[in-house]
Amino acid sequence: MAEISFPLPDLGEGLIDATVLEWLVAVGDQVERNQPLVEVETTKSSLELPSPQAGKVLRIHGEPGDTINVGEDLIVFEVPDDTAGIVGTVPKEAAPKRRVRLSANLDED
Amino acid sequence: MENTVVEMSMQKALNRGLDELLTEDPRSMIFGEDVGGLGGVFRITDGLQAKHGSTRVYDTPLAESGILGMSIGLAMAGWHPIPEVQFDGFAYPAINQIVCQLGRMNYRSRGTLPMPVTLRVPSFGGIRAPEMHTESLESLFAHVPGLKVVSPSTPHQAYHLLKKSVLMPDPVMFMEPKSRYWQKGEVDTENPGDLEGSVIAREGRHLTLIAWGAMVARCLQVAELAEEDGISIEVLDLRWLKPIDAAGLAASVSKTKRAVVVHEGPRTAGLGAEVAQLVSESCFGVLKAPVERVTGFDVPYPSGDLEDEYIPNIDRILFGIQRVLEYRRG
Repeated sequence: MAEISFPLPDLGEGLIDATVLEWLVAVGDQVERNQPLVEVETTKSSLELPSPQAGKVLRIHGEPGDTINVGEDLIVFEVPDDTAGIVGTVPKEAAPKRRVRLSANLDED
Repeated sequence: MENTVVEMSMQKALNRGLDELLTEDPRSMIFGEDVGGLGGVFRITDGLQAKHGSTRVYDTPLAESGILGMSIGLAMAGWHPIPEVQFDGFAYPAINQIVCQLGRMNYRSRGTLPMPVTLRVPSFGGIRAPEMHTESLESLFAHVPGLKVVSPSTPHQAYHLLKKSVLMPDPVMFMEPKSRYWQKGEVDTENPGDLEGSVIAREGRHLTLIAWGAMVARCLQVAELAEEDGISIEVLDLRWLKPIDAAGLAASVSKTKRAVVVHEGPRTAGLGAEVAQLVSESCFGVLKAPVERVTGFDVPYPSGDLEDEYIPNIDRILFGIQRVLEYRRG
């Protein structure tokens, strides 16, 4: 297994930090891509941050009320080795599905 | 006799092949973006810098034109560079070096400056990646005189074709199907088998499916499904995309009399057109129908959410087969 960190992203307009309001996931949770992770407040607004990827939550940084700088670790995921550091998702081998049937008269061959 | 067959992923097969190349060939050298300390974004060069040192395996700036330019200079000086562009679409900034220098240096120098460069290009789509990470460059590369182009479809092929490519005197565009990196297969390290030209991945009687890279596995699935309908499909893995194995195509299609070529890249001027023409030249007299193409569309590769509609899927390939099966002259 490998670790992937999600640092606090630049939330726009040159803001340099954000304050944790409430964590929406806990250590040990399996989260999906785009699942809301945490509610944070900046000097402009409060907002929910969606997860950039699927994975198991290994560590979270900052209690409610703590301020985190842009670029510092916010949450660390544990992911299988074959997805670590890769842009994209490696597909799992799925059983082939079909809707089209073939029909032919091959007698003349 | 020692059993030399090992099951491993294509990622592992390439990693092992590179490791052995560095050990066996002191003139070989690996460089590219994140290939050193990180071991590559796909882990293809994992552990190689630690083992072989940072003069043999090292990171470059984010400048593909420089990566290729350096490869050309190193090749002139007698090295065997194995550069990586991190993703297919990142080769575009290096096209000038590839077309204007790499491809023609041997010709320009009347054979005094061969270019034994193997450019590793993680290629094609299928991994939900963003733009420029999913391109099919084979028809672009194949059009450039002086280049050889190859795409392995299995771990065994990846291991042996990589070693063969690096030891060749010509520049090779080595297109790795990135969606297949983690699929496992048997690799016989001691017995490469025939690495020239195309290979029949599955024998059949009624129609030849022609594919390369990641589409070979999909075509094998299609052949399996077609068997349920009583249609016997031969799957021809083209492997070498320049030069193309015209004799191999002729041998298969002269037997089955029908052909469908499948590729991920856009349809117009895609490599499928070249394949169809070669088949027409050799098999015109026996063909039961025009060669059908099942391809990507003439649009930029879409976002990951839409890529299953872009890459030829099982049903689109089956439709292509059906069109050929029901074709009647006149």
